[in-house]
Amino acid sequence: MKELCLIVISTFYLGVKAQDIDSIMATIPAEDNYKTEATFKSPRLVLLQTNETQKAKNLAFWVGHRFGDIGGEFGGSHTLYGLDVATDLYLGFDYGITDQLTVGIGRSKFNETYNALVKYRVFWQEDQGLPFSATLFAQSGWITRKPFFNDEFPAESDRISHFFQLIIARKFGPGISLMATPGYLLRPDAQVQDLDDRSNLFVLGFGGRFKIMKRISIIADYTIVNGLSRPDSLQTDYFNPLGIGIEIETGGHVFSLNFQNSPYIIANNFIPNTTKSWSDGGVRFGFAISRNFNLAPKRDSIDN
Amino acid sequence: MIFTRSSYIFLFFVVLFSHQICAQFYQTTSVNIQFFSSAPIEDISAVSREGISVLNPDHAEISIKVKIRSFRFRKALMQEHFNENYMESERYPEATFRGRSIEKLKLVPGSSQKIIFQGSLMIHGVAQERQIPAIISLANDKKTIRLTSEFEIKCKDHDIRIPRLLWENIAETIAVNVNANFQMRSK
Repeated sequence: MKELCLIVISTFYLGVKAQDIDSIMATIPAEDNYKTEATFKSPRLVLLQTNETQKAKNLAFWVGHRFGDIGGEFGGSHTLYGLDVATDLYLGFDYGITDQLTVGIGRSKFNETYNALVKYRVFWQEDQGLPFSATLFAQSGWITRKPFFNDEFPAESDRISHFFQLIIARKFGPGISLMATPGYLLRPDAQVQDLDDRSNLFVLGFGGRFKIMKRISIIADYTIVNGLSRPDSLQTDYFNPLGIGIEIETGGHVFSLNFQNSPYIIANNFIPNTTKSWSDGGVRFGFAISRNFNLAPKRDSIDN
Repeated sequence: MIFTRSSYIFLFFVVLFSHQICAQFYQTTSVNIQFFSSAPIEDISAVSREGISVLNPDHAEISIKVKIRSFRFRKALMQEHFNENYMESERYPEATFRGRSIEKLKLVPGSSQKIIFQGSLMIHGVAQERQIPAIISLANDKKTIRLTSEFEIKCKDHDIRIPRLLWENIAETIAVNVNANFQMRSK
């Protein structure tokens, strides 16, 4: 009895009072619900847009290039595996008005297309909260080339198409991010190449980034166009765009070296018009370079 | 009578000892930590106000930790690169220091003391045994302790690699400033 009493009293005193720095540290809750950063390294993957936007007051200059077919009828040694040919060239600027809202303009060689885009981050993935990020994307394209035949574009509005997309992305870990992106293309009948094709098309895209080294990732995206709203039996053979590339990031630059079957760069062009396929030599090399400029005032305080 | 004299003596020591270890702790959840990198092309600085620290003046012990992602930069892209490319903050989410002063703390209200904490500094998953100088002072009301410290961290020591391409942008040695106001912890 006596011993029991002693033990009870002793443990009471020692147990309650024996605190040390580490046990106190462990009881203090620390903030751990941060926004997920860098789901993708760049606002563009191979062909598709990612959920990423420009940082506030940052301007990006974009250069994109698609060479000709590597193999098949138009490729091979006569064109140095497509390197003699440029099926599309893109120059553009994207500017982040805020971290959530980006606007951009650009110009493509194909069809001499000018485009304007808006991108808005609806929400961010969080460590403890939302499991994914979502971004809305809209882009209008304006074809400015001369008509190939009389009345190709009866009205000026027949030169304009619109593309809308919702991008849902999740960073599964430091080295792997995936996205799914449903979209809808609105184009005037004048731009429909195959008489049996629909003018407005539903699409569903998938993309991913897999980090292989700290600054080098493998990127890929695939867009389902055929088999959704597009009719099955068309005169023209259309293929779903598939792009695979390597993305290299060095400070303010992002480079990507890509292979894809789509000859064109912006969604308004490559979604309806991809007639090349990976299987018949229609795959081509391409690259994209972006350079970021921070236009925020230098004296901007870090106290945000 | 349950207790003999010897058990009273034993109890006395238990109580005495437990009072000994039941020291007064001081804590804060808003340690201000700033760092600076000065390189030929640009100066970079970042700040966190979310450091957590506990101080035991009786044992001259300190523990401090900060979430890497709580650091704010002037340029958002820099912050992303800091987390993604240098600190790998998803893999190593916090930096910590756990140490003890070489000398005893003589906390006199209203005056400050220069001390050196010896302990383990863990950054980017790499621990380094360090001696870190600090100035510590107890407020007149004895309820708050103020601590300031300035020291340097070599990126190399913590396996933080700077690509050769960027050596002109990022310094190899980072200067760190710590500012903490500890409040007495209620028992």
